[in-house]
Amino acid sequence: MTVVITPTMIGQVVISGLLAGSLYAMVALGLGLIFGVMRVLNVAHGPLLMLGAYTTFWLFHWVGLNPYLSLLVSMPALFVVGVVLQRLLVRRVVDAPELSSLLLTFGVSIATVNLAQLAFTSDLRSVEYLTGSFVLGPFAFSKSRVIACAFALVITAGAFYFLQKTRLGKAIRAVSQSREVAQVCGINVQGIHMLAFGVAAALAAAGGTLIAVMVAIQPEMGQVYTFKSFLVIVLGGAGNYPGALLGGLLLGLIEQLSSLFLTTQVNEAVAYILLVLVLLVRPTGLLGGRSS
Amino acid sequence: MTTPLWKLVGAAAIAVALFAASEAHAQAPIKIGASLSLTGTYAQPGTYQREGYELCADHLNAKGGLLGRKVEFVFYDDQSMPATGVRLYEKLITEDKVEAVMGPYSSPITEAVANVSEKYQKVMVSPLAATTSIFKKGRKYIFMVISPAEAYLEGLIDIAAKRGLKTVAILNEDTLFSKASAVGVAEIAKRKGMQVVFQEAYPKGNTDFSALLTKVKAANPDVIAASTYFDDAVAITRQMRELNVNAKMYGVTVGGDLPKFYELLKQNAEYVYGSTQWEGTLPYPGQKEFVDSYQKKFGREPVYHSAAGYAGCIIYAEGVKRAGTLDSDKVREQLLKLETRTFFGDYKVDPDGFQVAHKMVMFQWQDGKKATVWPDDLAGGKVRFPTPPWNQR
Repeated sequence: MTVVITPTMIGQVVISGLLAGSLYAMVALGLGLIFGVMRVLNVAHGPLLMLGAYTTFWLFHWVGLNPYLSLLVSMPALFVVGVVLQRLLVRRVVDAPELSSLLLTFGVSIATVNLAQLAFTSDLRSVEYLTGSFVLGPFAFSKSRVIACAFALVITAGAFYFLQKTRLGKAIRAVSQSREVAQVCGINVQGIHMLAFGVAAALAAAGGTLIAVMVAIQPEMGQVYTFKSFLVIVLGGAGNYPGALLGGLLLGLIEQLSSLFLTTQVNEAVAYILLVLVLLVRPTGLLGGRSS
Repeated sequence: MTTPLWKLVGAAAIAVALFAASEAHAQAPIKIGASLSLTGTYAQPGTYQREGYELCADHLNAKGGLLGRKVEFVFYDDQSMPATGVRLYEKLITEDKVEAVMGPYSSPITEAVANVSEKYQKVMVSPLAATTSIFKKGRKYIFMVISPAEAYLEGLIDIAAKRGLKTVAILNEDTLFSKASAVGVAEIAKRKGMQVVFQEAYPKGNTDFSALLTKVKAANPDVIAASTYFDDAVAITRQMRELNVNAKMYGVTVGGDLPKFYELLKQNAEYVYGSTQWEGTLPYPGQKEFVDSYQKKFGREPVYHSAAGYAGCIIYAEGVKRAGTLDSDKVREQLLKLETRTFFGDYKVDPDGFQVAHKMVMFQWQDGKKATVWPDDLAGGKVRFPTPPWNQR
């Protein structure tokens, strides 16, 4: 009762995998950034993505704003949320044992999801904007996913450029390499922490906005992206920013190919088994070490 | 020996106090406990079910309550998780001391909490549990209201077979009800001479169906039967469109009947078949009164989950009335004997509490409305067949 797998089918799921993977990469880059700079694993990353999705939904629903244009609102809005969150809460646990920051962000995550349930109810929402697909020969390219992928690649490239070429970006990398030395060199470490958290939240928001056009929106949609992002940064190498791109695309492919060759039920298991293998064989992630 | 006056006065005072207490008890409302899925993947249908219970309590109270006492529901949210449901029913029975319970939403959660209601010997009418096995485990106090899971897509297959379609692909969420329903589809298809060319399950909460649908597309079935709840029904329909997966008929079990399904998918919901336990347009007695009062109270149309919740509560109340007590064994006896036709359709159970009289119907989304297309004696509409490919809609 199963079907014979043909090269066309493999091609189709590779397309699906890469399209999904580019989004994973962008979202995970945010999680990786916070971890790299502050050594804090932000469990609330997914819920921030959910807030980005709701921003897009409400703007689309109330004023009919084009969902892709709402990136211009959701990213700055969540940037501010990220900065405030860092200033008010996360700052207090940056130097505390890792468990404290895990507990704190876990609390923020639960609070955010529950507040969203109160404010937005758990009704499913959708941004019915671009449905359907471009059909090229035997392959179908979902319109919303192709566009999401394009935006994700551009935004990820922008984030890399920012980190590599700009003064602020260099300051962020300096802090992530050594906080003390950066401080001695006159970098405002506290400010950089806030900036990094803001940028990370904005990346999550971008993910939320793009995903809002693809799937139904509800308050609990975000958590799964926390886990996926975690997988991605471990695969790519925690603290290694280009590693996030590789990890993201890889996760997208693994999920799709294991669903194709095995079943959808095991694709998460396959991804986590791979995670364990990477941790055993190459604990620093596939791209190894820390970026410099 | 004479009794001192103070002792007499004291005894009288105690007697009065006891009498007052029992009087107060008789006046206290009957608390009925239920946990429902108000958040999580089953939130949509779970909320409708709660509204059905609420309306039922209103109507009972308007007619003088139950056994002369007001009826009051105590609700909790089980977040669509069986383990949470178990904890909440324990709490309802042991801490909140409710005198009666009603079933939660969904088969997986009912299966889990039925162990609690059985342990405390509480009758539990479970209006939204459709999996046969729940009722066939020798449980004594559980009662079924809706048709079993296996029957959900009978209409889809029946229509397909009558029109000469040959092959079917089956997808299902990997949980109790959906699995049972998928097994049912496969059996009915074989019985009607159709071939199952693909069958695969996906985990609860899955949002990406691309690889699964790629396989379905390769199997090229005439009919796609998806045993879904709600979130997954929406996602599968969207992704079928995205991946250009076409079939002559495509039907879902649960979720397709909710107005939200069409709101979310708009024109992409057209031609989709769905099964339902009830529609407001079916020719049953008391239909209009239920629909009107529901709309007045909640400002939206009832769906079958609301109607089943309401009907289950009314059936339980009928059992209590006939028994003249809340005593579980006596109510049970009455519910086993009861045969009735309500606005929701027929009720009659076998000695296990398993529903044998209620009928499923099949509808198809046509121009934003649900047209009832099966079975013939209840159908008010005609099928639009076959479903055109996505690019020709």
